[in-house]
Amino acid sequence: MNSTDLLRGGLFGLVLLLLLSCDRPYDVRPAGTGTDRMSVIFPNYQDVTVPCNIAPLNFYYTDPAGRRFTTTFSAGGLSFTRKGRDVVWKQKDWTRLLAAAVEGDIEVVSAWRDGDIPVSFRWCIHVSPDRIDPYLTYRLIEPGFEVWDDLEIVERNLENYDTRLISDWRNAGNHCMNCHIHAQGRGDLSMFYLRGEGGGAILNRGGTLRKLTLRDSAMISPTVYGEIHPGGRFGVFSTNIIVPTMHSYGGRRMEVYDTASDLCVADFDENRMLTFPETARDDVFETFPVFSADGHSVYYCTAQARTLPAGVEQLRYSLVRIPFDDRTGALGTPADTLWSAAAHDASACHPKASPDGRWLLFTVAAYGTFPINHRECDLCLLDLRTGETVPMTVVNDDKSDTYHSWSSDSKWFVFASKRGDGMFGKPYFSHVADDGTVTRPFLLPQKDPHYYDKMLRSFNVPDLGDAPVGFDAREIGRIWKEVPAESFE
Amino acid sequence: MSPKTRRIVWISLAAVLLAAGASQLAFCVRYPYFRKYAAQNGLSLAEARKAWGHPDKLSEVAMGLAVEAALENWTAVAALAAEDRKSEIGTYYYNLSNAMNGQLADRLMDYYQPFERGLFLPVGAQSTPFKIACAGDVWFALGYMPLAERDAMLGMLFSPAHTGSRYLRRLAETNLVSGDFEAAAKYLRILLNSPDDRAWALERMPDAWSPAYRQRIAEKRALLPQFDVVHGMDQTRVILHVLLNSNPSNKMALDYLLCLDLLGKDLDAFVEDYDPSLTGSRLYEEAMLIFLAAKGGMTEENLRHYRISPATFERFNRFVAGYKRDNGSGRNLTGEFGKSYWYYFYYAVRNEQH
Repeated sequence: MNSTDLLRGGLFGLVLLLLLSCDRPYDVRPAGTGTDRMSVIFPNYQDVTVPCNIAPLNFYYTDPAGRRFTTTFSAGGLSFTRKGRDVVWKQKDWTRLLAAAVEGDIEVVSAWRDGDIPVSFRWCIHVSPDRIDPYLTYRLIEPGFEVWDDLEIVERNLENYDTRLISDWRNAGNHCMNCHIHAQGRGDLSMFYLRGEGGGAILNRGGTLRKLTLRDSAMISPTVYGEIHPGGRFGVFSTNIIVPTMHSYGGRRMEVYDTASDLCVADFDENRMLTFPETARDDVFETFPVFSADGHSVYYCTAQARTLPAGVEQLRYSLVRIPFDDRTGALGTPADTLWSAAAHDASACHPKASPDGRWLLFTVAAYGTFPINHRECDLCLLDLRTGETVPMTVVNDDKSDTYHSWSSDSKWFVFASKRGDGMFGKPYFSHVADDGTVTRPFLLPQKDPHYYDKMLRSFNVPDLGDAPVGFDAREIGRIWKEVPAESFE
Repeated sequence: MSPKTRRIVWISLAAVLLAAGASQLAFCVRYPYFRKYAAQNGLSLAEARKAWGHPDKLSEVAMGLAVEAALENWTAVAALAAEDRKSEIGTYYYNLSNAMNGQLADRLMDYYQPFERGLFLPVGAQSTPFKIACAGDVWFALGYMPLAERDAMLGMLFSPAHTGSRYLRRLAETNLVSGDFEAAAKYLRILLNSPDDRAWALERMPDAWSPAYRQRIAEKRALLPQFDVVHGMDQTRVILHVLLNSNPSNKMALDYLLCLDLLGKDLDAFVEDYDPSLTGSRLYEEAMLIFLAAKGGMTEENLRHYRISPATFERFNRFVAGYKRDNGSGRNLTGEFGKSYWYYFYYAVRNEQH
């Protein structure tokens, strides 16, 4: 064999290798009415409002029979054309386009051939000058009916596609870990739980991490839901006896309810747990406590106890507010009803106050206390200045919309929605204007437009932060292994 | 490198590759179901061996049962179950394959029965990932999609790759049966993009159902619950009652309920659930005789009502005589009555280690 033969053979092998390694186009069926891909593009970014610092909005066309796709984006004299079913941006081009479109629209023309028929339509992306907090934390979890394996808590940079693990199963003995929450969108004040042996509540104050056992003998369980006070000294929590059950009919899958729940306050400076007789009654459930923006009140959900599970569909929670003394950590009385379950014949969950004190965002379901499995569950926005709710039809969809959080400037909120497949929570973002106008939400963009098609995990409790949290999964692993949990009395 | 050295290198390399290939081939021939179960879990052979270790004869049979049951090859399941030696998985699939042929009760006592665990594999903190992966097969067959879906989801969650056609196919189909096309679409799309599952997924695309597949879905839908009950994850009897109250002609659910009562030795529950006009088996006759004898109800009327044959009645009398003669010892009863419910009722001992 001479050198020319060798070269020919090598070239042939290379071509063969390239052909074999070429990706086959991703089959996008089933699409259309009755499936989880009803719109002609996915993610459907038509007429959404995005912040001026968002990562490129990559998407694909869902028409299985379509070909020769061309998409032209125009704004402020700039124009970009992308060819192909998958529309994937270079970061540099996208940043230029966004800059050109601030406070305006990106005009888009989509065109393709459906068989021999040309199809074309115009749409737009509205660009808001309000920047969104650039960091989003979320837990990635398989929808596993109260069990888990290989959990990860991720921090995503919303300005690009960078992610990093802030806690994961590899470093934390595959124990359960609950979702990470920022206080008022602050990257330097946040917490989450590591459950099981060696675990505790991980409190991040200014980058200093502590592991806490937030429990005393008067409490019915360890702390479950809660929030850190804006001042950082206190946390308000619920303690819950949680029972997972199932529905036999109607595609409702799981029903999770509490057979008991109370409120308590943790004093992180004094290592004290404070409990109160008014919020520890057997005949009343109290849950999902959060602080008001000024830290002088606590919002929470409350319901009359029922015989369960028989009475689960009569279990409806109202939304109330009680005074909070930020010098002593005491919860005051009486509770003031902001949203009545009886008046609305529905149940409130997960209140979250905007950091500017203007809004209270919460979830409304037909009944119960675990809206993630309730298809009818929608977000509700209460204007705390007027006591009126704001229409949210543009935000809500036909599947569960819940687990929301605010950006630190109170202009954006993120929530987990199961729209589409109904099983997997995905993070959507909406803008709130000063007059209460909310915008059509957009799905967290991903580098691979088919990312959500392949994803078999839910984005659980997406939470916005103005800065990265000052720790990573390795640091959490060290704390899990080496640092004893501080006890609370 | 001289031509001779080069030739030696090539020959050595070829020999190594040949030996590795032959070893792999021998492994696949010896453990065909290990390879198939690995494929159903989205794993290569090497990944599967890393995750599960080297198989043995018993694990090969267990994986075979799981593989064939997922494909609903009940004849193959029955044949493999015959090779099993007293494992819960073996009994579970033995019972399921019999139930698919309407013979659950008739053949229940012919086989090792580890109490209720031979009918329903418990899913809990003590369950192995393999059992969890298999636990939904009975619920899918019975028509209870909430638990069929849950167990597929948990099976996938605890599988090494956190995916696999075994689970994705079941998740797609439970949702097609339930009529939740939006959920099914998610799984069908993933399967469509896997060469091994593409044809399967294409047949199930909502607009491509063949008459045979439509018939299959219609039959499954006829079994679905028609009303809502909120129940605990392990309330098996409640679920079976929901299925039966929704569809009294679900004979498989009825037989599973009655056999569950009997394997738990709960004769009061059995009598409450048993209607001889709806189902029958020598097993049920034998159980009724114990109950009637204990309650003083051995009347002609009761024997007629519960359709107890003279032959069964006569055998029962012989069993009782032998039992009394040997002061309760089963030593001399094994030969004639070892496969009767009477023998199980008096001599089967629950293994608390499980």
